[in-house]
Amino acid sequence: MLVEHEQEHDYETLMADPATSAQLVNVQINGVWHQFPKGTRLIEACEQAGSYIPRYCYHKKLTSPGNCRMCLIEMGLPKMGPDRKPELGEDGKPVINWMPRPQISCAQDVSEGLGVRTDSPLAQECRKGVMEFLLINHPLDCPICDQAGECRLQEFSVEYGNAESRFLENKVKKPKNIELGPRVTLDDERCILCSRCIRFCQEIAHDDVLGFIDRGSHSVLTAHPGKRLENNYSLNTVDICPVGALTSSDFRFQMRVWFLKETKSFCTSCATGCNTIIGTRQDAIYRQTPRENNAVNSSWMCDYGRLNFGYLQSDKRLLQPEILSGDKLIAAEWNVAITHAAVQLKHFSGWEIAILASGRMTNEELWLTSRLAKILGVELIDIVPRQGPGDDILLSTDRNPNMNGAQILGVTRWPGARLRDITDGIISGRVKALVALGENPIEIGLTFAQLQALPAFVVMNLLEDESISAATAVLPSFGFAEKRGSMINGKGRLQRLNRSVRGPGEARDDWEILRDLIQAYSGQNSETDSRPGGIHSIEDVFRQMSESFPQFAGLSLSKIGDLGVQIFGTEATR
Amino acid sequence: MDPTNTPISAELERKMDEAIRRYPADRKRSASMPLLHLWQEEFGFISDEGVNWIAAKLELQPINILELVTFYPMFRQEPAGRKHIRVCRTLSCAMAGSYQVMEKACAATGIVRHRDENGMHNPISVSEDGKYSIEFVECLASCGTAPVCMVEDELIENVRPDSAANLLTKEGRFPNRPPTKTDGGLETAAPWKTAPHPLEHRLIFKNIGREDWTPDIDCYLRAGGYEQLRATIKMSRAEIVNEVKTSGLRGRGGAGFPCGVKWSFIKPDEKKPVYLICNADESEPGTFKDRYIIHEDPHQLLEGILISCFALNVKTAYIYIRGEFPEGAQILERAIEEAREKNFLGQNMLGTGFDVEIYLHRGAGAYICGEETGLIESLEGKRAYPRIKPPYFPAVLGLYMCPTIVNNVETLCHVKHIIEMGGANYARLGRPNNTGTRIVCVSGDVQRPGYFEIEVGAVTMGQLIYDMAGGPRHGRNVKAVIPGGSSAKVLRADEKFKLRLKQSDGSMAEQEVSLFEIPMDFDSLAAAGSMAGSGGVIVLDDSRDMVWTLNNINEFYAHESCGQCTPCREGSLWMKKITDRMLLGGGVVQDPDTLQTLADNIAGRTICAFGEACAWPTQSFVEKFRDEFNQRSQKPVPPPMPPEYTPGELIDHKKIATTPLPRNPGWEETATAGTI
Repeated sequence: MLVEHEQEHDYETLMADPATSAQLVNVQINGVWHQFPKGTRLIEACEQAGSYIPRYCYHKKLTSPGNCRMCLIEMGLPKMGPDRKPELGEDGKPVINWMPRPQISCAQDVSEGLGVRTDSPLAQECRKGVMEFLLINHPLDCPICDQAGECRLQEFSVEYGNAESRFLENKVKKPKNIELGPRVTLDDERCILCSRCIRFCQEIAHDDVLGFIDRGSHSVLTAHPGKRLENNYSLNTVDICPVGALTSSDFRFQMRVWFLKETKSFCTSCATGCNTIIGTRQDAIYRQTPRENNAVNSSWMCDYGRLNFGYLQSDKRLLQPEILSGDKLIAAEWNVAITHAAVQLKHFSGWEIAILASGRMTNEELWLTSRLAKILGVELIDIVPRQGPGDDILLSTDRNPNMNGAQILGVTRWPGARLRDITDGIISGRVKALVALGENPIEIGLTFAQLQALPAFVVMNLLEDESISAATAVLPSFGFAEKRGSMINGKGRLQRLNRSVRGPGEARDDWEILRDLIQAYSGQNSETDSRPGGIHSIEDVFRQMSESFPQFAGLSLSKIGDLGVQIFGTEATR
Repeated sequence: MDPTNTPISAELERKMDEAIRRYPADRKRSASMPLLHLWQEEFGFISDEGVNWIAAKLELQPINILELVTFYPMFRQEPAGRKHIRVCRTLSCAMAGSYQVMEKACAATGIVRHRDENGMHNPISVSEDGKYSIEFVECLASCGTAPVCMVEDELIENVRPDSAANLLTKEGRFPNRPPTKTDGGLETAAPWKTAPHPLEHRLIFKNIGREDWTPDIDCYLRAGGYEQLRATIKMSRAEIVNEVKTSGLRGRGGAGFPCGVKWSFIKPDEKKPVYLICNADESEPGTFKDRYIIHEDPHQLLEGILISCFALNVKTAYIYIRGEFPEGAQILERAIEEAREKNFLGQNMLGTGFDVEIYLHRGAGAYICGEETGLIESLEGKRAYPRIKPPYFPAVLGLYMCPTIVNNVETLCHVKHIIEMGGANYARLGRPNNTGTRIVCVSGDVQRPGYFEIEVGAVTMGQLIYDMAGGPRHGRNVKAVIPGGSSAKVLRADEKFKLRLKQSDGSMAEQEVSLFEIPMDFDSLAAAGSMAGSGGVIVLDDSRDMVWTLNNINEFYAHESCGQCTPCREGSLWMKKITDRMLLGGGVVQDPDTLQTLADNIAGRTICAFGEACAWPTQSFVEKFRDEFNQRSQKPVPPPMPPEYTPGELIDHKKIATTPLPRNPGWEETATAGTI
């Protein structure tokens, strides 16, 4: 929104232009005039103008208490002449009356003719003073602090710290290693009392559970012993803690943050699809943190979704394709397993086959699934609806991340409506082959014995569950962090998964498995529509999908971008 | 713990419900402190059960209550002894021997006090038999009768260390005034019942100290009480505000802001409710004027408040009285009831159709509640964290985010006299821009400490100290004066000041004056580099060690910093730790400079004026008594900890001590200096 003010642009003309003056105000930052929309916070305006002002307590999604005093700057208002109009200087711009005392920039909105000096000697001296005060009682445990590397104290120490300490006294002792709740650990000596976490709990999580006790330099952040920090958003306090006071009990001491590779993705634990950053090292995921997207999740995500990645690293992962030989599943090469599965399916006509697909599959996978169903002539296809308690914040009652995709791509019209037909068909023996894609059929009411009685039971999944040993072919696939692809969240936003780690063992990307299955069955690479090209990459899947579904017209995986694209519904801003 | 199992008597619950009704129905949280007081009165301390019970009662989270219990030192989380003694630790009392009082009282009760180095509040020490407990508290606002103690709720004045044991015989309930001259071997003389000095001009204090005066409404009515309120209700609101504006009245709480200007911030057609808060949280060390108004002439204050309420269309006024005035609170509660009986407040006040209520709200020992936005937060039932301004100017976004006027006790009393005299007549008292009278409190090293009401600027510092307060003790000379409460910058007795003063021919001219020639008004004291503040003059004679004095002041501010914003929270304690160390003989040569720069890094950079309040003493003491500070700072600076990381450019700049290596490591080729 920043509009650079051209040098020759006359201040009065700007003032006179009603369209401009109605929305934009002129602000002088470090001697250069800029324009900002009314209501812009000064600290944000300066950042947009390229003058980042250091801050601890300020967070743009929370109220401003102005308590850290790090964002002190010099400020001035236009000097008013006797006619109550701003006096203009030689350059035709207002003369600024500088205030003698420094002001905080985090609680001030821009106003017409406001002047700011963000880097003057006074402003620098103020920051140095605040830094010294913050550090005197702060422990020097950076080498073992989880925040090291992404700590604001470290960051601003580079510019405003002193090489030597002149603090000769004993530091204030405070509690350490406090379990504030099941997921958050607190070190009060590291806490700089910025109150971000308290405000988050009050204003965003609506769970007023944190507070300061005691007074002065002895003030301590805490929760009442009878009521812990255990709401489903508690780990956001760790994200916004500018220092290492609040740490995630899950991530604590697991990995130095500078070794983490960061991949932009989104959470697949419910239909909200909170945007995330996945932190990985050497194909292991260490943490998932929220990424700002004001159309989806603001800057937050729930703990349930955040911590729901451990299963990707579980020893239950299926690592090897398997086929039934005699009465035992044995490991097989991929081409053998795929052929095996296709041959099994060829024994049956469309009415004898059911496909159990999943609302956790990507659009690309769902599109290929619907192609598979078409080739097989299958009508008995559905996904498993997945409900859970939701809240008014982010967590949706719909725990499938891509139910919308399943509906748009024609895999199911009324999710779950045909599950009964599928189970009845299997129980009665009308259905002789079941293809389970990322779902466990036992969870929809079938028994192991019923599955074992099926002449063909092809499973594509991540984890070994109790149905696996009933399968006639097992095709191990990828989890959300291991693949690329798109999903449509509950509010109609198309978002993109990016690969952050490689899949384990022999597991393969789902779209490749589905394509190969189609190819093995039909002998063609998705040529049933006699489209040219075939499918050689996930981009090909998306392109072919977008040709049949106008919702995706003009898009590609790369065009979805990091923040997604609204393809239906309205943007929900939080 | 199940809060429903607590044995709460019906009577206690009735009192609690009554307290809750004093606040708007959707602002129950405001009743947190009253409920905590009631709980502690009943059970002696605030148990965890109490925290949970009160939180449940007010539909709050337990942490909301725990935050308060630990913020306000008067709330205890552990039982005290059956008789609890508070000894004032702050400057005037400390100068008069309160540390010796503490020592003797501990000896008499067998209490062994442990000063926890890392403690926040002064600890409460209980005797082994549980009969007595004792603690140091910060300024009890009776500096004129220092040293003072409180036994339970009773104030004991002029406690001589050698008679400290007599404290144990005190009942602990406040007696019916007037007090006896000698009270169980503890003298309680000045400034009770002394005649005004000829240099005084008494308006507010006309009835203070009178033998024939009682704080009840009949006595007040006999002396023409509430006549000004009756006169006011015949005036228009604009007229009243104009009279106050014309009077030039400046706030008497410390900042000296023009009262009429403050009032005019309230829009006449304001739609939101407007609140008036009387700031009776008198706690600036050296100041003890409001105490006497509250205890001896409460109806004068009520009349001032009611006039102001009428002028500003205020339907609800709160008096925020400091927790250490339990007797004053009781007197004011009674006075409010008396005034209600006579319909000076309540529904349809004096038949005007105007409904007005005054409620009392007790603090619990936090100096920061004297800051108006801290006070408002405290009244809302939160920790007294001052608000940022902008945007939270009380006149716009004050109590419950409604327009609010916060005025000092003395200021509100002046309003009554402005109505009586007329604003223009009132403005003739005093000097231009420094109108009216004000009460000056003198304590410290003078022979007759006490309160004096003077025409602003009509008396010089010399007249005040020598003529009115009797001058320094025999054989002593005045060394320095803190002129406006302990946060005001200290003035040396031998300093010269350049002031613009009225000459004998009536013209104004710049003139060099000594400390004792400074007129006691806002502008002159500001021109002398200090401030008139809250009118608390603390005199220091030549026996005083300035490092000790500053340390006492630093301890007060370190204890009272609310801890909200960084510079004050960290700086006030750091300054105290430095002066502590200097007193213990550990001063290093850099200490005076460190103190100076620390204070510079606090003043003007904090949310509220506490930053200045805690920085100004250090800035002025170190600057003006540098030789004394140097004397105590002679040790060499210890070498810095070996840096783990020494960038080359720092070594070049000699910022970090470098150590030569025993052998040449052969690093010259890489252009380093051969040192680590």
